[in-house]
Amino acid sequence: MSTPDVDVVVVGAGPAGSCAAIVAARAGLSVVLLERGPFPGSKNMYGGVVYPRILDGLIPNWWEEAPIQRWVTRRSTMLLTDTQALTVDFRSEAWGQPPYNGATAFRPDWDHWLASHAEAAGAQLLTDTTVVGLLRDAGGAVTGVRTDRPDGDLTARVVIACDGVNSFLAKEAGLYEHTDAKHFTLGVKETLALPKEVIDERFAVRERHGVDIEILGGTGKVNGGGFLYTGLDTLAVGVVLKLPKLAAQQQRPEQIIAGLKQHPAIAPLVQGAELKEYSAHLIPEAGLTMMPKMTMPGMLVAGDAAALCLAAGIWLEGVNFAMASGMYAAEAAVEAVQKGDTSATGLAGYQRRLSDTFVLKDHRKLRRAPELVLSDRVQHLYPTMVANVVERMFHVDNPNPKPGVRRILDQERRKAGVRRRDLLRDGWTGFRSFG
Amino acid sequence: MSIVACLKWVSHPGEPHDERFAGMSPADQSALEFALRQAALLGTGVTAITVGPSGADKVLRDALACGATRAIRIEAPTTAAGTDVATAIADHIADAEWVWCGDYSLDRGAGSVPAFIAAHLGAEQALGVIHVDLEADGVRATRRLDGGRRELLGVRSPAVVSVEGATARLRRAGLQSLRTAADTVIEVVPATTPIHRAEFMVRPYRPRARELPAPAGDSPLDRLRLLTDAAAASAARGEMVTLEPADAAARIVQVLTDWGYLPHG
Repeated sequence: MSTPDVDVVVVGAGPAGSCAAIVAARAGLSVVLLERGPFPGSKNMYGGVVYPRILDGLIPNWWEEAPIQRWVTRRSTMLLTDTQALTVDFRSEAWGQPPYNGATAFRPDWDHWLASHAEAAGAQLLTDTTVVGLLRDAGGAVTGVRTDRPDGDLTARVVIACDGVNSFLAKEAGLYEHTDAKHFTLGVKETLALPKEVIDERFAVRERHGVDIEILGGTGKVNGGGFLYTGLDTLAVGVVLKLPKLAAQQQRPEQIIAGLKQHPAIAPLVQGAELKEYSAHLIPEAGLTMMPKMTMPGMLVAGDAAALCLAAGIWLEGVNFAMASGMYAAEAAVEAVQKGDTSATGLAGYQRRLSDTFVLKDHRKLRRAPELVLSDRVQHLYPTMVANVVERMFHVDNPNPKPGVRRILDQERRKAGVRRRDLLRDGWTGFRSFG
Repeated sequence: MSIVACLKWVSHPGEPHDERFAGMSPADQSALEFALRQAALLGTGVTAITVGPSGADKVLRDALACGATRAIRIEAPTTAAGTDVATAIADHIADAEWVWCGDYSLDRGAGSVPAFIAAHLGAEQALGVIHVDLEADGVRATRRLDGGRRELLGVRSPAVVSVEGATARLRRAGLQSLRTAADTVIEVVPATTPIHRAEFMVRPYRPRARELPAPAGDSPLDRLRLLTDAAAASAARGEMVTLEPADAAARIVQVLTDWGYLPHG
């Protein structure tokens, strides 16, 4: 067999790909990082919260240079009906100091920054280059990639596929047993411009502190959820919609965002803002249910390509899982290249690392959460029931005396059409997931 | 036979302060493509040259990836004056026989640098070319003239040719040459003469809005015709005069002032 062009080809310069390239290049391997866009991040639309603590070991004091918008010091979970809002709001000043917790960031900036570290480590970044297929040997092992450029074949000892949610490489390799629209949601986002001072005042934050609001309800008859994040002088407001429901309801996503922005609890926050950008992206939300096989001879799959996105209602995390999986994939690739064994056995360290860390531990623990959160009862019955309970609890209806909470709960449960055994079952599922 | 492609690293009009969007203007891409085609025809190489800061290496690497054989960057600030840019380039390519330029760059659009280079080199010039036929002993170029007219030029070396952006599509670089270009050392040289920052920005011609009296036609169609000059299309106000250059320039300024394109006084 001829000598491969490079040790490692990383496909996709997103968080997973760049972290993989950093680790592999620092280990002394020759690395090519391929990106289809004109620069890393140019194809991304994510405008949410990044939890970068996984970078502590990779880029010490990353917070001193990372291109963040605001550090999230307020975390709110909002439950909406058409006319009601119940918000659990938490604030911590500790999250506004090193080593911080989460931060809002624009992925074009974030990915560009991470890729610059990969280049500094010695990886060769090639942009405007789309990988269109895999090169394989007679035994089926991956031996490189084919790009859309003339003379576009690039051979490698290991290919790390970080090519995003619709990973054509993982599909071509047969690593996805099946893909189903019900495993995906559509994330749709508007970026709205407001002066920083206005955002600070409306969201009660100062300096670089920011707010992360996760919303249950507010998406009409389409199952999903909403979000509102503060950038420095922008807001990211959007919805995440279950695909089959969206198709069945024949609604356009922008109509649903418009509805969310008109909600009495949201409208004052976004009033007067100027629309700067509208974008949409698929999200692999089904967790373990949809994860592909992540290792095959000569290739590893990481990030969204491996469906490593945690969508568990109150936890919506993807970038940290992507960065971690990219790092672990590269560590396994380094081991395999150094041993001269890039077979599935030689690359098994990847799966072991995923299993031993939060990447798969969190997914296992929360494996029932995505289905529960997107279920019809949680989406359409419980918000009304809970909001009505709270409204009656705090409604002063003198001269009538205050009713007991248990009585209100039972009345509202029946009014909402929720069966007691379903409530208990969902409660138990939620407890097992989140407890 | 030396062939030079002059390239400029320009910011994207929509993202003027973000270097990630910066790159080659479409016209420069066309120029590079013709330089590469001519080099293949004549069996020689192409030198890509630019004037700018280190970020400008990007356009040189793109040129190398596409097939340029040598890349030179003359160190200068981003907003260098066009005359100084032309002088700096001309000083480094004094023996060039063919110099290919874009007719104007996206960011400033004056289109003056190719003419200045030709003047410095004492070379023929074919500027604002919209069609090029490469031949073994020269170039046949088509220029756009006013009023939809065309000018056909037979150009012999040494010459400077500037082309419009739509005249050719730059070839896609191969993967291996892209990898090689990424690691190629760019020749960075100082300018032989001082390079000053541009004192003002030249922009594409944009006539200012003029206040017009309301049209007096009887019907909406008549008023529309009067408003749009549709009925008077054949009665153009142009005139042909023969004057000395200085008088001609003064006459043009006077007419533009009369027509409202330039302020009085």
